[in-house]
Amino acid sequence: MSKRALVEEAIYLSLLLLDAHDFAGFLDICDPEFRYSIGAYSPEIRQEMTWLDHDKAGLRTLFENLPRHKSDRALLTRHATVYSVFWPPDAPEAKAVTSLQVYRTTLDGGETQLFAVGKIHDLLRLVDGQARLLRRDVKLTTRLLGIGSHIPF
Amino acid sequence: MSRNRRQWQETPGFPNTHFVDTGLYTDPTLFRDEQVNIFAKTWIIACHESELPNQFDYRTFRHPAGPELVVLRGDDGIVRSYYNICPHRGNVLVHEPAGNARKLLCIFHGWSFDCRGNCVGITRSREGYQDRFGTSDAGLREVRTEVGYGGFIWVNVDDDASPLRAFIGDALELIEPHIQEPLEVFHFHKVVVNTNFKLWHDTNSEFYHDYMHYFNRVTGMLQPGYFDRKYKPYPNGHASVGSMQVRYDKYEGGQDRSVGWPGLAPGGWVLIDLFPGMTYNLRTSVIRLDTMVPLSPNQTLIEFRGLGLKSDSPEQRASRVRDHNSIWGPFGRNLHEDLLGVRGQGSAMRDSTTGSRWVLHGREEENGIHDEVGMRHYYAEWSRRMGRLASEPFLGKNGHAS
Repeated sequence: MSKRALVEEAIYLSLLLLDAHDFAGFLDICDPEFRYSIGAYSPEIRQEMTWLDHDKAGLRTLFENLPRHKSDRALLTRHATVYSVFWPPDAPEAKAVTSLQVYRTTLDGGETQLFAVGKIHDLLRLVDGQARLLRRDVKLTTRLLGIGSHIPF
Repeated sequence: MSRNRRQWQETPGFPNTHFVDTGLYTDPTLFRDEQVNIFAKTWIIACHESELPNQFDYRTFRHPAGPELVVLRGDDGIVRSYYNICPHRGNVLVHEPAGNARKLLCIFHGWSFDCRGNCVGITRSREGYQDRFGTSDAGLREVRTEVGYGGFIWVNVDDDASPLRAFIGDALELIEPHIQEPLEVFHFHKVVVNTNFKLWHDTNSEFYHDYMHYFNRVTGMLQPGYFDRKYKPYPNGHASVGSMQVRYDKYEGGQDRSVGWPGLAPGGWVLIDLFPGMTYNLRTSVIRLDTMVPLSPNQTLIEFRGLGLKSDSPEQRASRVRDHNSIWGPFGRNLHEDLLGVRGQGSAMRDSTTGSRWVLHGREEENGIHDEVGMRHYYAEWSRRMGRLASEPFLGKNGHAS
């Protein structure tokens, strides 16, 4: 498999796992040093904002706490296109930029609406022939997120 | 025991100060009356001074009474506010939410205005208006503006309103000692939720809904001192809730807020609800400020701001950002739950004639944390300003159905 294919497969798999709420599976494809963030630029206050920022342990705790919280049960569906992969020869890590759209489908009636758009900036490390997520920064363009979400994108 | 239609509609067996008619949350005529009698006559937070740090910086704000405003820092450093409307053909003057402009230029016909609201240019003025009309006739509509209580920029579209200090009185006494240093906004996001604005303010006015927040239950409700907190009502419908020590370490994954806040005890928490719809929430290491803009009886725009100290080091700021957004950001633990709650109310109350008829505010616990005195106090002020009882709002000012 080509390097690009390895990266694409890891990114698409990560989003499928989140769609399925297989959070343990998601963490399995993350490097032990994984760090995850969600941010956005605010034209109102003219600053970059960080809305979520966790290492792997913090993300695991977030997932484990989910059943304890009251959450909107609408289903989130992620659609992505890997735009670019940059993996220099002999380099252990690759960078990728992916376009992301997240759709929200209500349980009652199944109405789907676009929830958010943005880009995912990934850093991946090749381990045992597989690309694992080392760092993921989700940069949202959408800032009006309704009542929000307990589940990261 | 379940109830039939008649029983469901019956007036609750409480004093009329202890319940409200859900028509308050659904009726379009009351909504318009609130814009006229409440929002057009009270001081409202438009933004914060740190959003306008430089000369000629501007920020737009959709005022709850209706007009779009532009808030400007002038060449003299003074902050002024105007209707964001060109007096020519009523177009929006400023289209971006923030920026910097020595002059405001209407994109439509090129009329221009300076930072003091003067019209300084009408294109082909003499050709079109001769001596009949000129720049001196076309100034912007200025609205009362004051900066205070932590550097917030307050506006009032009532030219005859009392000063801000008279409106606030002592309501911010618990937080004023902690907002003497310059503050800075580091977080801003908006939410549009299908609910009435008063339902969001109600949620900020009571802590009984801590049952909804697992996080609050383990860090607060189950800790000593939780039930010692008291509500204190103030004139003009404001109310405060005193401090307690929040135990963040009791939530798995929680961490001590080591950054702290000047003058606030470790883990301290102060919350102040201001009529008609703003909340100062100082919680251990950050300030959260909610401002509401009602869009319709069943739709509300809420602006959420997170603030730290202007003097924060990068590490301190990063800590405050994490503290704020882990709870109150769009992916935070609590905010999503609060919004879920009020959205449910909005869904259930779409029509007071076929859905719920009453909202109960009957809990009495000596003004303690689960007392519903905060809401009773709010609706007493609402009734005073609207000239009608919140429990019987359709009787009108003369006691007859309206």
